[in-house]
Amino acid sequence: MARKVTTQRMAVNTVVAWVIGLLIFFPILWTILTSFKTEAQAIADPPIFLGFNWTFENYIEVQERSNYFRHFWNSVVISVGSTLLGLVIAVPAAWAMAFVPGKRTKDVLMWMLSTKMLPPVGVLVPIYLMFRTLGLLDTKLGLVIVLTLINLPIIIWMLYTYFREIPGEILEAARMDGATLRGEVVHVLLPMAVPGMASTVLLNIILAWNEAFWTLNLTAAKAAPLTAFIASYSSPEGLFYAKLSAASTMAIAPILIMGWFSQKQLVRGLTFGAVK
Amino acid sequence: MATQHSRAAARLMISPSVLLLLGWMLIPLGMTIYFSLLRYNLLMPGNNPYVGWENYKYFLTDPAFTAAIVNTLLLVGGVLLITVVGGVLLGLLLDQPMWGQGIVRILVIAPFFVMPTVSALVWKNMFMNPVNGLFAYLAQFLGLEPFDFLAQAPLMSIIGIVSWQWLPFATLILLTAMQSLDREQLEAAEMDGAGPFSRFFYIVVPHLARAVTVVVLIQTIFLLSVFAEILVTTNGGPGNASTNLTYLVYAESLLRFDVGTGSAGGVVAIVLANIVAIFLMRMIGKNLEA
Amino acid sequence: MGRITLDKVTKSFGDIEVIPPLDLTIDEGEFVVFVGPSGCGKSTLLRLIAGLEDVSSGQIRIDREDATHLPPAKRKLAMVFQSYALYPHMSVRKNIAFPLKMAGMSKEEQDKRVDYAAQVLNLSDYIDRKPGQLSGGQRQRVAIGRAIVREPAAFLFDEPLSNLDAALRVNMRLEISELHTKLKTTMVYVTHDQVEAMTMADKIVVLQAGRIEQVGSPLELYRAPRNRFVAGFIGSPKMNFITGEEAAKHGAHEIGVRPEHLQPSTESGMWKGTVGVGEHLGSDTFLHVHDTGLAETITVRASGEMALRHGDTIWLTPEADKIHKFDAAGLRVE
Repeated sequence: MARKVTTQRMAVNTVVAWVIGLLIFFPILWTILTSFKTEAQAIADPPIFLGFNWTFENYIEVQERSNYFRHFWNSVVISVGSTLLGLVIAVPAAWAMAFVPGKRTKDVLMWMLSTKMLPPVGVLVPIYLMFRTLGLLDTKLGLVIVLTLINLPIIIWMLYTYFREIPGEILEAARMDGATLRGEVVHVLLPMAVPGMASTVLLNIILAWNEAFWTLNLTAAKAAPLTAFIASYSSPEGLFYAKLSAASTMAIAPILIMGWFSQKQLVRGLTFGAVK
Repeated sequence: MATQHSRAAARLMISPSVLLLLGWMLIPLGMTIYFSLLRYNLLMPGNNPYVGWENYKYFLTDPAFTAAIVNTLLLVGGVLLITVVGGVLLGLLLDQPMWGQGIVRILVIAPFFVMPTVSALVWKNMFMNPVNGLFAYLAQFLGLEPFDFLAQAPLMSIIGIVSWQWLPFATLILLTAMQSLDREQLEAAEMDGAGPFSRFFYIVVPHLARAVTVVVLIQTIFLLSVFAEILVTTNGGPGNASTNLTYLVYAESLLRFDVGTGSAGGVVAIVLANIVAIFLMRMIGKNLEA
Repeated sequence: MGRITLDKVTKSFGDIEVIPPLDLTIDEGEFVVFVGPSGCGKSTLLRLIAGLEDVSSGQIRIDREDATHLPPAKRKLAMVFQSYALYPHMSVRKNIAFPLKMAGMSKEEQDKRVDYAAQVLNLSDYIDRKPGQLSGGQRQRVAIGRAIVREPAAFLFDEPLSNLDAALRVNMRLEISELHTKLKTTMVYVTHDQVEAMTMADKIVVLQAGRIEQVGSPLELYRAPRNRFVAGFIGSPKMNFITGEEAAKHGAHEIGVRPEHLQPSTESGMWKGTVGVGEHLGSDTFLHVHDTGLAETITVRASGEMALRHGDTIWLTPEADKIHKFDAAGLRVE
């Protein structure tokens, strides 16, 4: 039972927490604010916090200059595509490990996680050359394949931890009730695992959306997702803060909004299913 | 606890994942090892002669390599230290009763959603820029000399940026773990005469051990291959001051087009990552079993 | 319909043999209870019959057909699990209809059967609720409903009442017994509770360490337990066992007398002792008697009104024809 907390203590907690929370959030807030300023206001001395003329100019210009929507669409295809493909491969594997565990299940799982330890840079050259030979450089398909493979261990691990919370007796009941293996998975396991799968999907979309090693190294203009699109803004030094901010805001907004709307699943997902 | 039938099905269901991951691991790995033994430069087409350990000798004796190792360790260690300590403190704070807890939590989580290229650009230009950055204005306001973060303390600046990205993750995991702590345990400790500090060190800290393990494991995986932040902010410089192993290999293979040396660097990176991995897996294996 | 035969069935997990070769026939329409202490292999045996585990060797026949290698879905058996194993995301109706849907039955036929089952089991009022909104007893009935709609060759129950509170358990025991009388379908029921076994079974199978100790009707087991284990397991409170000189007088290594077969008296009798704790149930009083020189404690059933206190002297006399005799190996001697 929670103890009665004095109003005073509550107020102190609240003030300290809000100050720290706003400090942590400030870079994002500042970016969003700057995106609505003119370039001159963006570098005004002293900095203007709120008292400026709001404008949407920067957004329009970013779209016109570098075709934001194409990169946005690339990001969507790559992150959603790799997550769904990963899910299709991972669900059967997680089912097998969670419900038909053998002596080596733990070892297999640990081995799968350990493939995440393989530094991407160690295999960058062969993948780059292979993609060049296969014509996969700068294609969405190429990135979907790579991101599926690098996130597969995480998807399997998370599904495994969620599946393990489902009592095996329920699946056995389905088997007794005449369900085939497919029926057992489709009608019983998956509907019961919806919250866990939602967390898994959300986390993996975020990881794929923000992945910035392979997306930077394997794409050029055509298939570049938002990570690479933003990196192209690093060359013209200074002076274009407002446009940079508008582009940044557009790059992170979809994930921020999705994250805030699905906070509950996401918080669960962010812990990778490892902490309850 | 199953029939032969379901065991056979299980093997069938797990094999695509195993084969894909095995292929993903072994094929490029084999190629990397193979390339690392050749003189192979994309700018010089022609036959690629076998040169034995030459690439390794070249890579390992390059002063940039030592610098990169030190930088990698500083980067991983520094970020882990900041995020774990900061995460525990923030977690303790957010675990207290307050008004608007949900909103504060959203504010704290937000940096995790920001892609590395964006956060690097925002910090570089809008905060750390010695002329137009907010920090420069702040220094001016306080009557100090503006400090050129990325030129004068490039690695520290990058550690700062990366820590900002990963602090939310550590906080969230540690907070979740704190909330799962049985209140009755704390009350029992209080009845046994334990003060707030004893309660924290004897009850809360052991309870958090598992969560800290998870934070360390997952962050290490991602931190060993920090790349975009360096590419966008400093390009590894000035000199090699902020070059980590990942960036060094990238520079060798895709900037200098020296596939042979780059591959040797890749193999070295893999060996080092494996040493860390074995160490971590031991730790994790023990902590996750329970 | 519903005759199950186990022929030299064994089961090992790795090197550990949990069921040594075992033969058993369950007749059509019988209510058979597997009973034994935890870890005796009774649940494993049930799972072997269900097809949820493979037998290591031997044969299982259901209605003369070899079912040893059939998957569970093809065995025409229905099972009620200890945790009920209801599908939490489906309404009561969908839960009960699930096996029918899996069998590809038409929607009308499904509805007809579900409505009938719901009516029989008093579930009609809750038909659209989810399992999470039901009480333990209602969940239990849904699990039974799911089992009966498909009209199986036999029902398998795996400790179905162990998650219910005491009062509900007695009710459900009656309901299951009534269901058996009504359906006349073979039922195989696993429990560790000998009271459930005694009250419900046509035939009890007592198991220990995977071995069948005895098979028989409740009264056969009560009257003539084949060995010391069965004698001690069946009956409540437990039978008193006495070794040594007193047993030798009856020409046995060990003798056993049930508490209800001892005559207590305040004046005279065969064995003298001191009254310890008394458990007053109203109808009966069970007295724990010490210092008899025969065994550490001897339990005796006295009438509810017997006025004896802690420390009083008591005399006990066993009914001569109700003394069970066992040899050194624990087997019954006539």
